[in-house]
Amino acid sequence: MTGRRELAGIPPQTPLFGPGVGLDSLAGTLLLRQVRARFGVDVAAEDLNLDALATLATLAAFIEERAGGGIS
Amino acid sequence: MIKCVIWDIDNTLLTGVYLESAEQPPPPDPAMVSVLTELSGRGIIHALASRNPPEAAGYAAAAIGHQFAAAECGWGRKSDAIRGILADLDLTPDAAAFVDDEAHERAEVSFALPDLLVLSPEDMADAAGWPEFGPAVVTPEARRRGAMYAQRRRRQEEARAFGGSREEFLRYCDTAITIGWAQPADVPRLHELSIRTHQFNSSGEEVSEAALGALLGRPGHRVVTVRLADRYGDDGLVGGCVIEAGARDWTVPLLMMSCRAIGRGVIDVLLAWLARAAARVGAAVLNVGCRLADRNMPLRLALAGAGFRASQASAAPAAAAVFRKQLTGPPPELPGWVTAPEEP
Repeated sequence: MTGRRELAGIPPQTPLFGPGVGLDSLAGTLLLRQVRARFGVDVAAEDLNLDALATLATLAAFIEERAGGGIS
Repeated sequence: MIKCVIWDIDNTLLTGVYLESAEQPPPPDPAMVSVLTELSGRGIIHALASRNPPEAAGYAAAAIGHQFAAAECGWGRKSDAIRGILADLDLTPDAAAFVDDEAHERAEVSFALPDLLVLSPEDMADAAGWPEFGPAVVTPEARRRGAMYAQRRRRQEEARAFGGSREEFLRYCDTAITIGWAQPADVPRLHELSIRTHQFNSSGEEVSEAALGALLGRPGHRVVTVRLADRYGDDGLVGGCVIEAGARDWTVPLLMMSCRAIGRGVIDVLLAWLARAAARVGAAVLNVGCRLADRNMPLRLALAGAGFRASQASAAPAAAAVFRKQLTGPPPELPGWVTAPEEP
């Protein structure tokens, strides 16, 4: 989804920004495009500081809240 | 402004139909080749979308003597082929033109992609004189644009096959990022970046050469350039910013980077260097004013990743926000492949 295979399977609580994952703008853009396409949730339009991208767990919670519980 | 022309092959770039004369495919149309060459010289790139086997693209490239930035050959809808090319080159439909001799193909593409400029070969013959195809300045970066897309494709192919992390790949590529103070000779390219960049452009407004030139010598102002090269080629000047250097805070009213440099660590390095340079002269806060638009969301990702925060409550479209970074604690590290001035 992000074009970076080494990111597959990271734990939900791992910080996406900063050392370790180091989510850059390319991978982040691809990720948010997929989120919009799959769940109809436009994270960038609703979340000025993109706090939803702190971890995969916060992103999933953000989407779940807005997509009506369509993700598991 | 058109950045890319997508060409049909049969009876458009060639004077006949490729598959009807496989023994000796038809020669290129001299009028179309002349327009293609003229536009290449202005920094416009070219791609192929054709109902043909992939070999047709190789033949057209060899016959015309041009390295195309992308090619989609097959029997699906032309509009789908064009969408694929635009995604591949990271372009929006309004930055591209499509040329085809078949009226029904033009109709299908116009309907599916209303923002794309759709032309017949006859139109194309004099379209080179239209303002959409005529950038006022042709920078060295613009003249090399076609070749740089080919370098990018080689880099992406290697990146896909590369097993390590992004940092390891950037090191493997011999990435070299050079930050410097803008000189008068950099002004035309900085002006061009203010027009051509969208995904990484904080203000979304064109800045004239005169305005940029005036900033070079203005007290309290700094104009920064960022250059990028690696083992695949030299991308030249790919980014820049304007700094208003106050005693307690630095404000960046304009920050821009070419999408050609995306994924290569350039924007992160520029933001880290700004924080280091500002902290070094005693500033406590670094501000980046940013228009909030769908198009420049990648810049917001970079700002979030670099620890900037905006205080406005919602991200309403067309609004703007100031993203702030408190310069406390140790300054962010710069990778070893960055050359930069430390003292402003």
